[in-house]
Amino acid sequence: MEDIQSYEATYFTTCLVAAVALPLISFFLSFAISEKYSWIVSFSAPFLLLLSTVAAGFVFYAVWNHEPVNIQWHWFTCAGYTFTAGVLLNNIAALMLLLVTFISFIVHSYSTAYMAGDPDFRQYFAMLGFFTFSMLGIVVVDNLLLIFIFWELVGFSSYMLIGHWREKPEAAEAAKRAFLINRAGDIGFLIGLMILWANTGSFNLTDIDSLSGYSSWMTAASLCVFCGVMGKSAQFPLFSWLPDAMEGPTPVSALIHAATMVAAGIFLLARVYSLFTPPALDVVIIIGTLTALAGALSALVQFDLKKILAYSTISQLGLMVVAIGAGAPQAAMLHLFTHAFFKACLFLGAGSVIHSLHQAQHQSNTALDVQDIRNLGGLQKKLPFTFIIFLLSGAALAGVPLFTGFLSKDAILNSLMAWKGSDLSWRWLIFASAFLVSFITVLYTFRLIWSVFKGEEKVTASLSIEEPPVAMRVPMAILAATSCWLFVSWNPFDFSGWIYNGLTSVKHFHFTFIALVSAAWIVVALIVAYRIRERSFKSAVLLNGFYLDRVYRWLIESPAFQLALFTNKVDKKWIDGVLHTSAYLQLIAAHVTGWFDRVLVDGAVDGAAGLTKGIGSFARSFQSGKIQLYIFWAVFTIIIFIIWTLL
Amino acid sequence: MQDIALSLLLFTPLLVAFVVLFLPSTAATAFRYLTLAVNFLQVIILLIILRAYDPALALQFVEQQPWITLDLGSWGVLKAEYFLGLDGLSLPLVILSVFVMLIATISSWKIAKNVKGYFALLLILNAAIIGSFTALDFLLFYLFFEFMLLPMFFLIALWGGPKREYASIKFFLYTLLGSIFILIVMIGLYTSVHDPSVTGKLVHSFNVLHMSNATNFISNSILDPNNVWQIGWYTARQWGFLLLFVGFAIKLPMVPFHTWLPDAHVEAPTPISVILAALLLKIGGYGLLRIAFPIFPDSAVYFGWFVGLMGVISILYGGLNAMASKDLKRLIAYSSVSHMGFVLLGVASLTSEGVAGSVYQMFSHGIISAMLFLLAGVIYDRTGNRMIGNYSGLSTKMPGFTVFVLVAFFASMGLPGFSGFIAEIMVFLGAFKSNSINGPLHESLAIVATLGLLIGATYYLWTLQRMFFGPYNLKGNLSGAHMPDVNQREYSMLLPLAFVALFFGIYPQPMITIIDPFAKHFAEFVLSAGKSLMLNP
Repeated sequence: MEDIQSYEATYFTTCLVAAVALPLISFFLSFAISEKYSWIVSFSAPFLLLLSTVAAGFVFYAVWNHEPVNIQWHWFTCAGYTFTAGVLLNNIAALMLLLVTFISFIVHSYSTAYMAGDPDFRQYFAMLGFFTFSMLGIVVVDNLLLIFIFWELVGFSSYMLIGHWREKPEAAEAAKRAFLINRAGDIGFLIGLMILWANTGSFNLTDIDSLSGYSSWMTAASLCVFCGVMGKSAQFPLFSWLPDAMEGPTPVSALIHAATMVAAGIFLLARVYSLFTPPALDVVIIIGTLTALAGALSALVQFDLKKILAYSTISQLGLMVVAIGAGAPQAAMLHLFTHAFFKACLFLGAGSVIHSLHQAQHQSNTALDVQDIRNLGGLQKKLPFTFIIFLLSGAALAGVPLFTGFLSKDAILNSLMAWKGSDLSWRWLIFASAFLVSFITVLYTFRLIWSVFKGEEKVTASLSIEEPPVAMRVPMAILAATSCWLFVSWNPFDFSGWIYNGLTSVKHFHFTFIALVSAAWIVVALIVAYRIRERSFKSAVLLNGFYLDRVYRWLIESPAFQLALFTNKVDKKWIDGVLHTSAYLQLIAAHVTGWFDRVLVDGAVDGAAGLTKGIGSFARSFQSGKIQLYIFWAVFTIIIFIIWTLL
Repeated sequence: MQDIALSLLLFTPLLVAFVVLFLPSTAATAFRYLTLAVNFLQVIILLIILRAYDPALALQFVEQQPWITLDLGSWGVLKAEYFLGLDGLSLPLVILSVFVMLIATISSWKIAKNVKGYFALLLILNAAIIGSFTALDFLLFYLFFEFMLLPMFFLIALWGGPKREYASIKFFLYTLLGSIFILIVMIGLYTSVHDPSVTGKLVHSFNVLHMSNATNFISNSILDPNNVWQIGWYTARQWGFLLLFVGFAIKLPMVPFHTWLPDAHVEAPTPISVILAALLLKIGGYGLLRIAFPIFPDSAVYFGWFVGLMGVISILYGGLNAMASKDLKRLIAYSSVSHMGFVLLGVASLTSEGVAGSVYQMFSHGIISAMLFLLAGVIYDRTGNRMIGNYSGLSTKMPGFTVFVLVAFFASMGLPGFSGFIAEIMVFLGAFKSNSINGPLHESLAIVATLGLLIGATYYLWTLQRMFFGPYNLKGNLSGAHMPDVNQREYSMLLPLAFVALFFGIYPQPMITIIDPFAKHFAEFVLSAGKSLMLNP
């Protein structure tokens, strides 16, 4: 910071603080405004986010391709160590900062129309603002403890947003599951923090960057941190919460469960990449591959519009993790970046379909599950705009050439190509899986778009469906436009554009034939997808996400609950039982001593008294006052005396 | 002012309690306002203390007066002192006490039965609590410690719920058992420790600071570190430590000595639950930190792993029991058991992070549990029923209440941004690090303890789901109950608590500044003194 003049430094700090704090202000404002004026929120919230985005733009401009900026404030000192609250902005962080604020702004604007009329309108925007704030926190802070803090806060806001429609029991259940599975991952993260603390005594990212050599504690710490990533970025086997999370409002899914929060894990991996040792990276890539395959296969058989997208997100996140594992965090970040835009766009498009159908339903009083693609079809005529949106962003997802998705996927495939080496090993399997995933991606994307927009209109035929309002269309249009390859790189077949080059200092390796093979592969996939468009895949295992929910229930939930009941019994029966028994024993002892007192001690005392009394009354009986008796005794005594002396 | 500040804090409630006894029992309002006035006066005194308190110095506001001096001839002199002081351990707890007692008074406003007796007992309890946290003479501490039992017993037994007699007797006997253990050790210490400031004459002292110095033990006395003879498996000192540990663990409470707590909480009226959870439990932790560990550092190091293990067991066992609870207050009571386990784990780590985390946890748990019990009280006031299964969808009828519940639940499960997180993370860091600085705990203890976070999240979120989400519905015979949202009096209690929990979660420095010197000194002293006493007694 020394070389920047103080004015510029102040200006920079102001922008940074504004970018991060404005969403928080939106949170407070949305709560503070009274119910009566809740319409203000629909202006204030997007406006504050717009300001935040602009500020983030300035920050991005100042940081991108410049020296990283590290500003630290003193937070608290304990145990001789100063915990700092600081920001570390390098290219990765600056890119994420811009991405998060921008998508958040788009989703805020979209939500003003989508959520109009919701009774908890203010709370919705408040939590959206709070989420954005916590997400930005993860992005800018400079140490792992702070990242962990914001990480958990993100989980909290996700909980609140998934459970937004509180009267729906499914929403509450999904929110709870999401939070708990995330927390399970976070516990791993926490253990990672403890290992780091015990070994280095510091949480600073710069200190982690300067770690050299590989030691076993680093492997342990990095795998523990990766547990957190598995939770938040929905990696196998902790992904089951993400499809459930689709119970939340659709814009929330776009922002949190597609573009930003689930990407936080990838961002974190890129941020602490130097902590990861080669064995740890192997674990990472295997988990990533499993996730990518599992997600893609599951997406193929889903019927719920949003669940298809959710599983697709899981699969794409898996690909990003694969890229990290292959030693190419820059490729992962590039895919994160492009994916954030097109997947958010797809979700907003899905929201548009759901919104339009809901409106139409309200007018005609029919009830059908508008998210079930088996009920949909032929909507192209009634929703032409939404169709184009789906087409553009779907093409990007499928990785069709000339779209951003193609380039970022190409970057990942290239990194895998370099990583697998020339010798045949298990690494080829990973490489092949990546190709398989991109093939399946085309299939399910095609199936999704086809079954919603093409073919015969089914149950919706009688409904008069209208395109959503402008406030929803413009955000979608903007996001759809970003699917164009120009957004990432000038050359539609070379991913090393401004972003990629900004994220890595390593001279990039680029295998042109990968791009060509991949393009051809996509075309083949498209043809296959067209040929099998009428067939539907059925697999209960895939439909239910490998029954992971059930596995958790069997392996963790019910044993835990049984254990809880057991401990309760231990408390009531055993501990209190021992207590009550000892109390009873005491009582019995008291009775025994009481008896002893009464019968023996008192008995002895009473006995002594009785004896005295008896003797007394006996002796007294001699002196009854009757003269005859005295004479009798006198005579009797004399007789005895005579007998005595004579014998 | 400085030399009488603590006495003022301590005797004001006693004096007013005395005055209250002479007022006619019809003057119900007067009792309430008098108690409130005492609380505010205590706040003012506390502010004055805080202004003058210097964290860099060890012991401050010391008041030392001769109290009982008995010349016993050849048995030496019995010397007990009126000895009060504040340091980084007692100050946070005194702050907590003054704050929570104020909240408890506000919460007691609606008590209608025998108002005079209630507030008189509340004032006596107030003095006893402050006394326990400030006394540095063992006999004086013991006096206050025992003195606390009496008002508490009557407050539960007379103003409690349906099973109040069982609960109050259980509470009383349990705690009394612990007190007996403490008494035994106190007598042993009395015979073994002499006052080094008096030469030429044998003066037996109750001064805790003298007891914490191994050189003050009379050679060949029963608790002398050089004394090698054993009773059963352990030396007399080790038995002494164990007895003290159990005595304070009952108060804490630690599994398996915890079963008095759920019963006492369920039956106690709301304000008493608040005091019980927020303050009385802390005396257990305070006793360990002030008495058991510094006086027997060698045994503390020897049994450290055991203390830590019991902490972990409490964390998990308490959490699991909370999960199985059907009564909201019982759930919160068990969550207290779980959270106090962190105190044990942190203390046993003998690292400054861990110890600071423990003290922080005591403060933080005081605030958060007070809030939780008040919230349970809000529901109980409206329906007279606390069964979780009888409620559903409360968030639609009571949005304000739901916000507070969310804050309290998430604060209690250790969400960052609330004070509980800072405490727990420091305990974890300390417990994990302990092994690497030759402390008594193995890393696995900290790792297993993290499961407590998951269990905590489970029972709270499940409760939220069952009681607050879903469609609004009251079951049982509550269906007609009127459920108004939080009223102004309830706001005035909940809002400050929520604010404090949040403030010390975001900006822990003010509290850490107070605690840190103590924690650092404590960890270093116990570890080094313990190790050296164990090596060459």
